[in-house]
Amino acid sequence: MFFFTIRRVIASVFVLLASSFLVFALCAASFDPLSKYYTQNPRPPESFFNNLREQLGLNDNFFVRYWRWLSGVVTGNFGETINGTPVSEQLPGRLMVTGRMILLAIIIAVILAVVVGVIGAVRQYKPSDYAFTFLAYLLIALPTFWFAAILKEFVAGGVNDVFGKQVLYTIGEETPGLSLYASGWELWSDRLGHLVLPTVSLALLSFAAWSRFQRSAMLDVLGSDYMRLARAKGLPYRRVVMKHGLRNALIPLTTVVALGIGTLFGGAVITEQVFVWHGMGEYLLQDGIGQNDINVVLGWLLVSAVFVVVFNLVADVLYAVLDPRIRLS
Amino acid sequence: MKFSKRGAALLATGIAGAMVLSACGGGSSSGGGGESGSSGQGRVVFGESTDFPENLFPYIAAGNATSVANLLIRVLPGPYVVEPDFSVKWDQDLLASEPELDTSGGGQVNTYVINPDAVWSDGTPITAEDFEFTWRANRSSDPADGGCASLLGTTGYEQIASVEAGDDDKTVTVTYSTPFSDWQSLFGNLLPAHLMDNEDPVALCDTITNGWPIADGIVGDISAGPWQIKKENIDVGGQIVVLTPNPEWWGEPTGLAQLVVQNIGNDPTTAVQGIQSGELGVIYPQPQLDLVDQIQGLEPNVSSDVTFGLSFEHLDFNTTYGPLSELAVRQAFTMALDRQEIVDQTVGQFSSDATVLENRIYFNNQPQYQDTAPDEYKTKNTALAKQTLEGAGWVLGSDGVYAKNGQRLTVQIDTTANNPLRQTTIEVMIPQLAEAGIEATFNANPDIFAGADKPTSLEAGGFQAAVFAWVGSPFRGATQSIYEQPQGDAIGQNYSRQGTQEIDDLFAQFQVEPDPDKQAELGNQIDALLWGQVATVPLYQKPTFIAYQSSISNVEDNSTQAGPLWNSETWTVQ
Repeated sequence: MFFFTIRRVIASVFVLLASSFLVFALCAASFDPLSKYYTQNPRPPESFFNNLREQLGLNDNFFVRYWRWLSGVVTGNFGETINGTPVSEQLPGRLMVTGRMILLAIIIAVILAVVVGVIGAVRQYKPSDYAFTFLAYLLIALPTFWFAAILKEFVAGGVNDVFGKQVLYTIGEETPGLSLYASGWELWSDRLGHLVLPTVSLALLSFAAWSRFQRSAMLDVLGSDYMRLARAKGLPYRRVVMKHGLRNALIPLTTVVALGIGTLFGGAVITEQVFVWHGMGEYLLQDGIGQNDINVVLGWLLVSAVFVVVFNLVADVLYAVLDPRIRLS
Repeated sequence: MKFSKRGAALLATGIAGAMVLSACGGGSSSGGGGESGSSGQGRVVFGESTDFPENLFPYIAAGNATSVANLLIRVLPGPYVVEPDFSVKWDQDLLASEPELDTSGGGQVNTYVINPDAVWSDGTPITAEDFEFTWRANRSSDPADGGCASLLGTTGYEQIASVEAGDDDKTVTVTYSTPFSDWQSLFGNLLPAHLMDNEDPVALCDTITNGWPIADGIVGDISAGPWQIKKENIDVGGQIVVLTPNPEWWGEPTGLAQLVVQNIGNDPTTAVQGIQSGELGVIYPQPQLDLVDQIQGLEPNVSSDVTFGLSFEHLDFNTTYGPLSELAVRQAFTMALDRQEIVDQTVGQFSSDATVLENRIYFNNQPQYQDTAPDEYKTKNTALAKQTLEGAGWVLGSDGVYAKNGQRLTVQIDTTANNPLRQTTIEVMIPQLAEAGIEATFNANPDIFAGADKPTSLEAGGFQAAVFAWVGSPFRGATQSIYEQPQGDAIGQNYSRQGTQEIDDLFAQFQVEPDPDKQAELGNQIDALLWGQVATVPLYQKPTFIAYQSSISNVEDNSTQAGPLWNSETWTVQ
């Protein structure tokens, strides 16, 4: 197991290197961080452009630039944004925002997926199964931006109308500036009110696909010989399903969820955009690509890639832990 | 039973987890909020649609953002205020009297008298030293000359010979080495000398280059306006800045206790839903048709207003491109256009006030504006366009397109990618041009504003015609670099690469004419000559759109660079 992990980590480093090189090449070829100043009227003096080119290292050869970035990253220096803020100062905050949003969503989604998946499998082709199947496919089919917009328009509006005051919020993490004059329960409930809709939107969309995995895994397990044996030994049905069935049926879901977490960290891009959370997704789109900022894009890439790699690894290791038949060596 | 217990545990964990998660949300610690100062009641949230700034220092690239200008407009004032009607008025809070202009002897001397009550928010009086420092900081971008290369521009400041205290340190005398007609645009954000000045130009340049990183706020939390931005009120993670009343403000107190500027991104749905739910008080998004319709559907709870601002769309011909190097072709092209139809199909959809712009130097709503367009360009005149082409030796081919010496008259019109307004503009042009035997095509060019190393950029000249906008100010001297003759590779911003000595000479006078009436006359003369060359064709001014809760009073759009927060100290909320 240990050597397996080491081997995977080393392989991942090469994957990271290759991907960062490719993305760096793409960005260097297409980004022009000076472009917004050419059409500024009055136009900045030539010395301004020369200075900025020098400062951003645009005069150097591509390989020199990449090497400079890479050697910086090794020492924890992700470079600066084109406006001079160190990227390493911006990343943790962004990561926290996205992390906060998806962590709760994943917990809810997993619980829901397992419950719904198991019920669907145990009561296969019963009305409840059809109902959950319908719901799952509906959610899978809904585009994120549309679902989120519907939540904002109808759920937020409806709930607020019912309570006669603002309970659910659609913008940001808290009412802006609230922490300047409020504390305690007021602040907490406000933050909770801001957290609900993005979480629900992410959770329901992830849950939909995961519940299908869980259902089919559970169906496989329910039909297996050892389940029949357990029943034949006289164990109660619920115990057989929960202990012998569910535990085995969780294995495929573990992999799917672990992979999903990795990619979600790369940015619940659309959800962040719709609910104006300033997380990783927005960082890539607005600060990175929008500003033609190569260090931001690379910083985002590195963090996201690390998460994907780490959770891939977690998936593999968990697989071995959950299924004693698998030995990693 | 066992199961439900577990369920309850899960539920409890979930709720506790949610609480923990929401509690670890960023945000500054409490304290130091709206309670300071006696002035103001209530709070208004302004939804900022442009990027959250990384730096608040307005004179460098990192602080060159609309969001910074909006934040600073009532924090670091200057001697002049640009009103919503584009007129320029002296700031009656900062100054004690109207600045004087002395042009005797062909020189230019301006005298400013600072309000005796004017102080910085730390109690230090605002004096001539602050004017002198603001000039010295912006004077030169050449380090050999003691300047700083990080500066975004030195226009105007470089023409000042000295800034000195007059009879007392509240009187400022600004002497120019060469006259500068747009002198009212200078000292736009007055800088605090007592916090930033350094005798050593290199150290000063370091201070400028470093600017005011957003996480640190403005140096010393300084303010000279009704609002103050305190470091503790900046939430970088949440992209929120809370403006509070400046306790040392000597003018009319602010109507609000807090003005919250929250970055909401440029998604129109967010802005609409935010104002509908009451989370946002005032929004200033880029106008789009469905957005304007939706907001207008929220009346009477929400009020809104469309205004036409200081940026204008225009068509640029590349006069180094074969057919377009001929004046007759450019003339025919312009005659074939029905610009009224273009306006009707684009900005006319937002407001019935939209009109065709007939001047490149001045805007429709400026007092200096004159319609300088010759009659043949005022309405679509396909017959005259064809006649002009035929007069220049072009022959109508069997495919309905003119040709000369085997070259067909085709023009590809470039514009920015993903801009529906510009795309519509060009799509309306294409059939109009086809009627006159000119084959035009649309091209979304992602590199249009890139540097000269991208072959299809405006800079490199690898385009045939282009539709884009110039963002201006009421101070029109800046337009010189757009219309001046190119000097070899140094084209300035003259992407059409066309000009005449006559225009250059008039521009030289335009820059140094301090008398506003004479300057306006020169400006309109220049524009009439530009019509003679038709290297660029003005189309229309772009609209700006403001919407606000009807419970907020005194909100008024200012579509100039002053922006929507220009009078935010007068806002009140019921």
